Amino acid sequence: MKQHLGRQSGVQQVEVSLLNGKVDITPKEDGQIEPAQLLKVTYDSGVSVAEMDVTAGGKIVRDSSGTLTLEVKPNQAFEIVPNEMSHALESLAGTETRVTLRGQLYQKPPGTKKVAPTLPLKLTVSEVQKQE
Amino acid sequence: MNSNRLVLLVLLSALAAQAQIKHIEMRVEGMT
Repeated sequence: MKQHLGRQSGVQQVEVSLLNGKVDITPKEDGQIEPAQLLKVTYDSGVSVAEMDVTAGGKIVRDSSGTLTLEVKPNQAFEIVPNEMSHALESLAGTETRVTLRGQLYQKPPGTKKVAPTLPLKLTVSEVQKQE
Repeated sequence: MNSNRLVLLVLLSALAAQAQIKHIEMRVEGMT
């Protein structure tokens, strides 16, 4: 799995802890990393992803349906799941303010059965780290 | 003129660096 992940576009470094099943992925500075692809590669390698957390910077925008999203790049955005943290971000929608958020992009549904990750990935914000 | 372009390039690079995925952490099951 480590080798498969390390070969993915935008991945600088992969560190795997066999003890607790934790996988740390450091992206390259080119910003080409794609979380959905990492989930797929991990799943295809026969390992089940219990959860995926991400730290990402970008702008808060509201899409055509009124949904709040974190726009990391013009072609990469994550829908933000409404919660207490996301309410604080609503006032930033459509502004040039850049934020760095930490949150959960994926969590395996309850149960022991192995299931393929569902797309698109949605971001459940747990922390607003920086606001500029 | 060239120095202005250089400043613009540095600013754009700084903005691009801010707007990206900085870290990903996964917890996996079934790893041997």
